[in-house]
Amino acid sequence: MTQLDARIWLAEHGDYLFRVARRQLHSDEEAEDAVQETLLAALAARERYAGDSSPRTWLTGILKHKIVDLIRRNVREVEIPRDAEGEEAVDALFKRDGHWAEPLRPWGNPQTEAELSQLRRVLDDCADRLKPVMAQVFSLREVAGMETEEICKELGITPTNCWVLLHRARLFLRECLELNGFSGGALS
Amino acid sequence: MRWMPTCREATELASREMDERLSLLDRLGLKMHLAICRNCRRFTVQLEEMRRLFRIETAADDDTPGLDPEARRRIESELHSKLDA
Repeated sequence: MTQLDARIWLAEHGDYLFRVARRQLHSDEEAEDAVQETLLAALAARERYAGDSSPRTWLTGILKHKIVDLIRRNVREVEIPRDAEGEEAVDALFKRDGHWAEPLRPWGNPQTEAELSQLRRVLDDCADRLKPVMAQVFSLREVAGMETEEICKELGITPTNCWVLLHRARLFLRECLELNGFSGGALS
Repeated sequence: MRWMPTCREATELASREMDERLSLLDRLGLKMHLAICRNCRRFTVQLEEMRRLFRIETAADDDTPGLDPEARRRIESELHSKLDA
Protein backbone atom coordinates (compact mmCIF):
# COMPACT_ATOMS: atom_id res chain seq x y z
CA MET A 1 0.00 0.00 0.00
CA THR A 2 1.61 3.26 1.31
CA GLN A 3 3.16 5.25 -1.51
CA LEU A 4 0.73 4.00 -4.07
CA ASP A 5 -2.26 4.69 -1.82
CA ALA A 6 -1.26 8.26 -1.12
CA ARG A 7 -0.79 8.88 -4.83
CA ILE A 8 -4.16 7.41 -5.64
CA TRP A 9 -5.85 9.47 -2.94
CA LEU A 10 -4.41 12.65 -4.35
CA ALA A 11 -5.25 11.70 -7.91
CA GLU A 12 -8.78 10.50 -7.25
CA HIS A 13 -9.95 12.68 -4.38
CA GLY A 14 -7.68 15.74 -4.52
CA ASP A 15 -10.10 17.90 -6.50
CA TYR A 16 -13.05 16.81 -4.41
CA LEU A 17 -11.30 17.52 -1.11
CA PHE A 18 -10.12 20.88 -2.41
CA ARG A 19 -13.64 21.93 -3.44
CA VAL A 20 -15.10 20.95 -0.09
CA ALA A 21 -12.33 22.81 1.74
CA ARG A 22 -12.51 25.86 -0.51
CA ARG A 23 -16.17 26.44 0.25
CA GLN A 24 -15.41 26.58 3.94
CA LEU A 25 -12.08 28.34 4.02
CA HIS A 26 -12.49 31.15 1.51
CA SER A 27 -8.93 31.17 0.25
CA ASP A 28 -7.17 28.83 -2.19
CA GLU A 29 -4.01 28.67 -0.09
CA GLU A 30 -5.82 27.57 3.04
CA ALA A 31 -7.83 25.01 1.14
CA GLU A 32 -4.63 23.60 -0.39
CA ASP A 33 -3.07 23.42 3.08
CA ALA A 34 -6.11 21.58 4.37
CA VAL A 35 -5.88 19.02 1.56
CA GLN A 36 -2.18 18.51 2.19
CA GLU A 37 -2.63 18.11 5.93
CA THR A 38 -5.49 15.72 5.36
CA LEU A 39 -3.44 13.46 3.10
CA LEU A 40 -0.46 13.54 5.44
CA ALA A 41 -2.68 12.66 8.40
CA ALA A 42 -4.31 9.91 6.37
CA LEU A 43 -0.91 8.54 5.50
CA ALA A 44 0.14 8.56 9.14
CA ALA A 45 -3.08 6.85 10.20
CA ARG A 46 -3.39 4.42 7.29
CA GLU A 47 -3.11 1.36 9.54
CA ARG A 48 -6.21 2.49 11.36
CA TYR A 49 -8.25 2.78 8.20
CA ALA A 50 -10.26 -0.40 8.36
CA GLY A 51 -11.80 -0.02 4.95
CA ASP A 52 -15.37 -0.14 6.21
CA SER A 53 -16.09 3.25 4.68
CA SER A 54 -15.03 4.40 1.23
CA PRO A 55 -11.65 6.17 1.06
CA ARG A 56 -13.46 9.37 0.09
CA THR A 57 -15.70 9.26 3.16
CA TRP A 58 -12.74 8.48 5.36
CA LEU A 59 -10.65 11.32 3.88
CA THR A 60 -13.55 13.77 4.10
CA GLY A 61 -13.90 12.98 7.81
CA ILE A 62 -10.23 13.82 8.36
CA LEU A 63 -10.60 16.95 6.23
CA LYS A 64 -13.41 18.25 8.46
CA HIS A 65 -11.13 18.14 11.48
CA LYS A 66 -8.36 19.89 9.57
CA ILE A 67 -10.75 22.62 8.47
CA VAL A 68 -11.92 23.22 12.02
CA ASP A 69 -8.25 23.34 13.13
CA LEU A 70 -7.43 25.95 10.51
CA ILE A 71 -10.46 28.03 11.39
CA ARG A 72 -9.66 27.83 15.07
CA ARG A 73 -6.17 29.14 14.38
CA ASN A 74 -7.66 32.04 12.43
CA VAL A 75 -10.18 33.20 14.97
CA ARG A 76 -7.84 33.35 17.91
CA GLU A 77 -7.37 36.85 19.29
CA VAL A 78 -10.32 38.35 17.52
CA GLU A 79 -12.57 40.54 19.60
CA ILE A 80 -15.96 40.18 18.08
CA PRO A 81 -18.30 42.33 20.17
CA ARG A 82 -16.13 45.41 19.76
CA ASP A 83 -16.30 45.14 16.02
CA ALA A 84 -17.98 48.51 15.57
CA GLU A 85 -17.67 48.36 11.82
CA GLY A 86 -19.90 45.33 11.65
CA GLU A 87 -22.44 47.04 13.85
CA GLU A 88 -22.43 50.10 11.63
CA ALA A 89 -23.03 47.99 8.58
CA VAL A 90 -26.10 46.53 10.28
CA ASP A 91 -27.23 50.05 11.26
CA ALA A 92 -27.21 50.97 7.59
CA LEU A 93 -29.80 48.31 6.81
CA PHE A 94 -32.35 49.63 9.31
CA LYS A 95 -33.95 52.96 10.17
CA ARG A 96 -33.45 54.34 13.63
CA ASP A 97 -36.83 53.08 14.76
CA GLY A 98 -35.79 49.52 13.82
CA HIS A 99 -37.72 49.25 10.56
CA TRP A 100 -36.04 48.05 7.38
CA ALA A 101 -34.45 50.96 5.53
CA GLU A 102 -35.46 49.42 2.18
CA PRO A 103 -38.32 47.05 1.46
CA LEU A 104 -37.29 43.47 0.72
CA ARG A 105 -38.14 42.05 -2.66
CA PRO A 106 -39.19 38.44 -2.93
CA TRP A 107 -36.71 36.02 -4.48
CA GLY A 108 -37.49 33.87 -7.44
CA ASN A 109 -37.17 30.16 -7.45
CA PRO A 110 -34.18 29.00 -9.48
CA GLN A 111 -35.23 25.93 -11.43
CA THR A 112 -32.64 24.84 -13.92
CA GLU A 113 -29.26 23.42 -13.00
CA ALA A 114 -27.61 26.34 -14.78
CA GLU A 115 -29.55 28.89 -12.70
CA LEU A 116 -28.68 27.06 -9.51
CA SER A 117 -25.05 26.83 -10.35
CA GLN A 118 -24.91 30.54 -11.22
CA LEU A 119 -26.60 31.37 -7.96
CA ARG A 120 -24.15 29.24 -6.02
CA ARG A 121 -21.28 31.10 -7.56
CA VAL A 122 -22.75 34.48 -6.53
CA LEU A 123 -23.44 33.10 -3.07
CA ASP A 124 -19.86 31.87 -2.72
CA ASP A 125 -18.50 35.22 -3.93
CA CYS A 126 -20.64 36.97 -1.35
CA ALA A 127 -19.48 34.56 1.36
CA ASP A 128 -15.88 35.32 0.43
CA ARG A 129 -16.57 39.00 1.11
CA LEU A 130 -17.67 38.41 4.69
CA LYS A 131 -15.20 39.37 7.40
CA PRO A 132 -12.99 36.38 8.22
CA VAL A 133 -14.42 35.46 11.63
CA MET A 134 -17.96 35.96 10.48
CA ALA A 135 -17.31 33.86 7.39
CA GLN A 136 -15.84 31.08 9.46
CA VAL A 137 -18.61 30.89 12.01
CA PHE A 138 -21.06 30.96 9.14
CA SER A 139 -19.23 28.19 7.27
CA LEU A 140 -19.10 25.93 10.27
CA ARG A 141 -22.79 26.43 10.82
CA GLU A 142 -24.21 26.37 7.32
CA VAL A 143 -21.71 24.45 5.26
CA ALA A 144 -20.38 21.98 7.80
CA GLY A 145 -23.74 21.87 9.60
CA MET A 146 -22.25 22.08 13.10
CA GLU A 147 -24.43 23.05 16.07
CA THR A 148 -23.77 26.52 17.53
CA GLU A 149 -22.86 25.03 20.89
CA GLU A 150 -20.16 22.95 19.23
CA ILE A 151 -18.92 25.99 17.28
CA CYS A 152 -18.65 28.10 20.44
CA LYS A 153 -16.67 25.37 22.11
CA GLU A 154 -14.39 24.83 19.14
CA LEU A 155 -13.68 28.51 18.66
CA GLY A 156 -13.72 29.57 22.28
CA ILE A 157 -16.35 32.27 21.81
CA THR A 158 -19.55 32.90 23.78
CA PRO A 159 -22.96 31.85 22.44
CA THR A 160 -23.96 35.51 22.27
CA ASN A 161 -21.00 36.28 20.02
CA CYS A 162 -21.94 33.33 17.88
CA TRP A 163 -25.50 34.59 17.39
CA VAL A 164 -24.34 38.14 16.69
CA LEU A 165 -21.92 36.87 14.05
CA LEU A 166 -24.46 34.57 12.42
CA HIS A 167 -27.09 37.31 12.39
CA ARG A 168 -24.71 39.75 10.72
CA ALA A 169 -23.45 37.17 8.26
CA ARG A 170 -26.99 36.32 7.20
CA LEU A 171 -27.99 39.99 6.85
CA PHE A 172 -24.92 40.75 4.75
CA LEU A 173 -25.26 37.70 2.53
CA ARG A 174 -28.88 38.50 1.86
CA GLU A 175 -27.98 42.07 1.01
CA CYS A 176 -25.08 40.97 -1.17
CA LEU A 177 -27.26 38.55 -3.12
CA GLU A 178 -29.81 41.26 -3.75
CA LEU A 179 -27.17 43.78 -4.81
CA ASN A 180 -25.79 41.19 -7.22
CA GLY A 181 -29.01 40.86 -9.03
CA PHE A 182 -30.72 37.99 -7.30
CA SER A 183 -34.33 39.13 -7.09
CA GLY A 184 -37.66 38.97 -8.75
CA GLY A 185 -37.29 35.68 -10.58
CA ALA A 186 -33.66 34.73 -10.94
CA LEU A 187 -30.31 36.35 -11.46
CA SER A 188 -30.67 39.17 -13.90
CA MET B 1 -43.30 46.86 28.66
CA ARG B 2 -42.48 46.63 24.99
CA TRP B 3 -43.23 43.15 23.79
CA MET B 4 -43.48 43.59 20.05
CA PRO B 5 -40.03 43.32 18.46
CA THR B 6 -38.93 45.81 15.79
CA CYS B 7 -37.84 44.55 12.36
CA ARG B 8 -34.24 44.68 13.43
CA GLU B 9 -34.98 42.66 16.55
CA ALA B 10 -37.16 40.29 14.58
CA THR B 11 -34.26 39.53 12.22
CA GLU B 12 -32.12 38.71 15.25
CA LEU B 13 -34.78 36.34 16.56
CA ALA B 14 -35.36 34.78 13.15
CA SER B 15 -31.64 34.22 12.74
CA ARG B 16 -31.34 32.66 16.19
CA GLU B 17 -34.29 30.44 15.52
CA MET B 18 -32.26 28.88 12.70
CA ASP B 19 -29.79 27.69 15.31
CA GLU B 20 -31.72 26.85 18.45
CA ARG B 21 -35.10 26.82 20.14
CA LEU B 22 -36.22 30.28 21.25
CA SER B 23 -37.84 31.02 24.60
CA LEU B 24 -41.64 31.09 24.58
CA LEU B 25 -41.67 34.88 24.87
CA ASP B 26 -39.26 35.33 21.97
CA ARG B 27 -41.19 32.86 19.87
CA LEU B 28 -44.44 34.71 20.49
CA GLY B 29 -42.87 38.09 19.80
CA LEU B 30 -41.41 36.88 16.53
CA LYS B 31 -44.68 35.26 15.50
CA MET B 32 -46.64 38.41 16.16
CA HIS B 33 -44.17 40.53 14.30
CA LEU B 34 -44.19 38.21 11.28
CA ALA B 35 -47.99 38.28 11.25
CA ILE B 36 -47.95 41.98 10.47
CA CYS B 37 -44.65 42.46 8.61
CA ARG B 38 -44.20 41.34 5.02
CA ASN B 39 -40.54 42.36 4.84
CA CYS B 40 -39.61 40.16 7.77
CA ARG B 41 -41.66 37.29 6.41
CA ARG B 42 -39.61 37.56 3.23
CA PHE B 43 -36.46 37.69 5.31
CA THR B 44 -37.26 34.40 7.05
CA VAL B 45 -38.04 32.71 3.73
CA GLN B 46 -34.74 33.96 2.34
CA LEU B 47 -32.83 32.66 5.36
CA GLU B 48 -34.19 29.18 4.69
CA GLU B 49 -33.38 29.53 1.01
CA MET B 50 -29.76 30.50 1.74
CA ARG B 51 -29.38 27.58 4.11
CA ARG B 52 -30.70 25.20 1.48
CA LEU B 53 -28.31 26.53 -1.14
CA PHE B 54 -25.30 26.27 1.12
CA ARG B 55 -26.07 22.77 2.30
CA ILE B 56 -27.16 21.16 -0.94
CA GLU B 57 -23.79 21.26 -2.50
CA THR B 58 -21.51 20.76 0.48
CA ALA B 59 -20.23 18.00 -1.71
CA ALA B 60 -19.14 20.83 -4.01
CA ASP B 61 -20.21 20.88 -7.62
CA ASP B 62 -17.88 20.00 -10.41
CA ASP B 63 -17.87 23.34 -12.19
CA THR B 64 -15.91 25.05 -9.44
CA PRO B 65 -12.15 24.89 -9.96
CA GLY B 66 -10.31 21.90 -8.52
CA LEU B 67 -6.80 21.66 -7.17
CA ASP B 68 -4.30 23.90 -8.93
CA PRO B 69 -1.62 21.80 -10.79
CA GLU B 70 1.14 23.66 -8.98
CA ALA B 71 -0.41 22.88 -5.58
CA ARG B 72 -0.96 19.29 -6.62
CA ARG B 73 2.73 18.89 -7.39
CA ARG B 74 3.66 20.50 -4.09
CA ILE B 75 1.40 18.17 -2.12
CA GLU B 76 2.67 15.16 -4.02
CA SER B 77 6.29 15.96 -3.24
CA GLU B 78 5.34 16.61 0.40
CA LEU B 79 3.76 13.16 0.56
CA HIS B 80 6.86 11.64 -1.00
CA SER B 81 9.23 13.24 1.44
CA LYS B 82 7.12 11.91 4.32
CA LEU B 83 7.14 8.44 2.82
CA ASP B 84 10.87 8.40 2.27
CA ALA B 85 11.59 9.59 5.78
